Amino acid sequence: MGEETTSLGGIHISPNAVATITYHATLQSYGVVGLAPKNLADGIVSTITRVPSHGVSVHYNGSDIDISIHVIIEYGTRINSVAESVANTVRFHVEKALGLRVNSVNVHVAGLRISDPD
Amino acid sequence: MGVDTARVEKFRRMPIDGQSLKRLVDAGLTWLRTNQQIVNSLNVFPVPDGDTGTNMVLTLQSAWNEIKDSGTHNVGEMAAAVSKGALMGARGNSGVILSQLWRGFSRGIHDKAELDAETLVKAFAEARDTAYKGVVRPVEGTILTVAKEVALATEAALGSTKDAIGILEVAVKAADDAVKKTPDLLPVLKQAGVVDSGGKGLFFILEGMIRHVYGESLESPTMTVQSMSAMNLQNALEEVEEGQDYEVVVDFVPQGELDLGSFYGRLEDMGTSIQVGEGDGMYRMHIHVPTEKRYEPIDYIMGIGTVTKVAIENLLAQMDDIQRSKSSQISFTTVEPGQIAVVTVSPGPGLSRIFASLGVAAVVSGGQTMNPSTQDILGSFENLPTDKIIILPNNKNIILAANQAREVTVKQVAVVPSRNVPQGLAAMLALTPEGELDAVVEKMNKAAESVKSGEITVATRSVEIDGVKVKEGQVIALLDGKLVAAARDVEHGVLDLLKKVKTEEHEIITLFYGEDLPHAEANRIADRVREQYSSLEVEVQEGGQPHYQFIISIE
Repeated sequence: MGEETTSLGGIHISPNAVATITYHATLQSYGVVGLAPKNLADGIVSTITRVPSHGVSVHYNGSDIDISIHVIIEYGTRINSVAESVANTVRFHVEKALGLRVNSVNVHVAGLRISDPD
Repeated sequence: MGVDTARVEKFRRMPIDGQSLKRLVDAGLTWLRTNQQIVNSLNVFPVPDGDTGTNMVLTLQSAWNEIKDSGTHNVGEMAAAVSKGALMGARGNSGVILSQLWRGFSRGIHDKAELDAETLVKAFAEARDTAYKGVVRPVEGTILTVAKEVALATEAALGSTKDAIGILEVAVKAADDAVKKTPDLLPVLKQAGVVDSGGKGLFFILEGMIRHVYGESLESPTMTVQSMSAMNLQNALEEVEEGQDYEVVVDFVPQGELDLGSFYGRLEDMGTSIQVGEGDGMYRMHIHVPTEKRYEPIDYIMGIGTVTKVAIENLLAQMDDIQRSKSSQISFTTVEPGQIAVVTVSPGPGLSRIFASLGVAAVVSGGQTMNPSTQDILGSFENLPTDKIIILPNNKNIILAANQAREVTVKQVAVVPSRNVPQGLAAMLALTPEGELDAVVEKMNKAAESVKSGEITVATRSVEIDGVKVKEGQVIALLDGKLVAAARDVEHGVLDLLKKVKTEEHEIITLFYGEDLPHAEANRIADRVREQYSSLEVEVQEGGQPHYQFIISIE
């Protein structure tokens, strides 16, 4: 994806690169305590994943990027606002780093972590 | 504006109970709101969208709404209510963190009836701990760092400070210092020449509390000199007050040290929205003033330094531009489950806004070619929280795609086959969201049929249709889709079109002007129409559609 041809040759950006940027931007977002594997097969190893491509899926249709992220959020925060911030932050970082337009960022809240019940 | 010592002494002796905490929260909110634009202008991290101040104000406002009617004297209960309100209203990144700080603060004192120095320190510590738990990779140099420094400094001060007010003073000082250090911890702040916005917001909340104790004003913004690159004059425009018609920006080099206190004092006599920026010994002053005072700031500054550059702009003209650039932000009607939601295809931003104001739940942008796909239409309503959908295609070429969208969804969808925008608008006026779908569709169909629609555009080829000869490039007028006139300019196109309508049967003419037609020109043509049809009401609206200079609704 993200093909570009310059006078020196082609530039090819793989979905994994987008996933990695997304992963780091997500983990820096306040309220997110981890990414969750997006399917069961990935999830057998652990509930919180450290492999970017497990919690993030990236679709590219030739012009736009669609990103889905599966996150675990800290219990007690306003989930709506946290998810919105994640979407904003991810969009900003991916667009800034790659110069490609992000069409949509879908945030799936896969679970909550409860550190302090109240 | 000195400190009222007697008042402070009274506060020191008085324990902080629920009601005192309530007043402190109010003061924190008021002071934050007063300085909201400063906080917004600092916002470069994590996303530079200039909304940190607004988000924090809205979050704390929600907390205030939760407690404003509370009469409890128990400080633990009051803090719990603040925490709940902040959580419910948490907006944006900084708002979520602020709500977490309150959550921790409240947890630290949940079993206390009053705040003393020790409990307040414990509350600050809990606030920090809770806030840090909400993120895997805390970024230092943000509001989190400020909360941490406040907790550390107050813990250290506990030995020597015996009363809660003393601890609050330490907290304010620590927050101020921590905010100043944020650029050293977060490089992106240093590059932009700003301090962290969320941290600054937290500082304003704490400072507002202590200003309340000191009996200082919470209404006039703090006197600051920002870095020149951080001055956000665009934001200031949103705060234009009645009568402040001119924006004056003066760059200058002061003779000797600039005395901020008297500088601000003089400027406040002249106008509002004062901002002062500094970079490499050069200062920039920004102010909004009434027309008759537009030269005063310049004269004043010439007296205290060397003026290098002056810019005076008429704000009313600028406001128009801003309104235009805001065109993408449209707020649609929210639909409840079970209600009927209308989605519509719109050829231009102005028309989208008009449709939104009439209650549509979503707009499919028709694009340059007015040719959205079935998928586009489907996507517009699939996520709406209701199963009853009405589609207004507003173009005869889109009716087919709309019908296809109806075939492929599980939702109950009806298409009101509006062939143009005026029909769609007329149909919207007949909408009752709570009604039976079939009955509503019938009413909307009827309404759509009752309106006459005119379109003014430019012929793309030479042709003769229905006895009207048209040359390429000529202005043509269509009435209900039929070519009725060819004219030498837009004005004559409109007037010729109206001649073909039995205007005595109608009351209102609305002219939606397209993206190629200037606002002033549209108004001028509307005036000509008014002259000729004095019995009709003539309205002008921005349609923003491409290709068509005017879309005309005749009701």
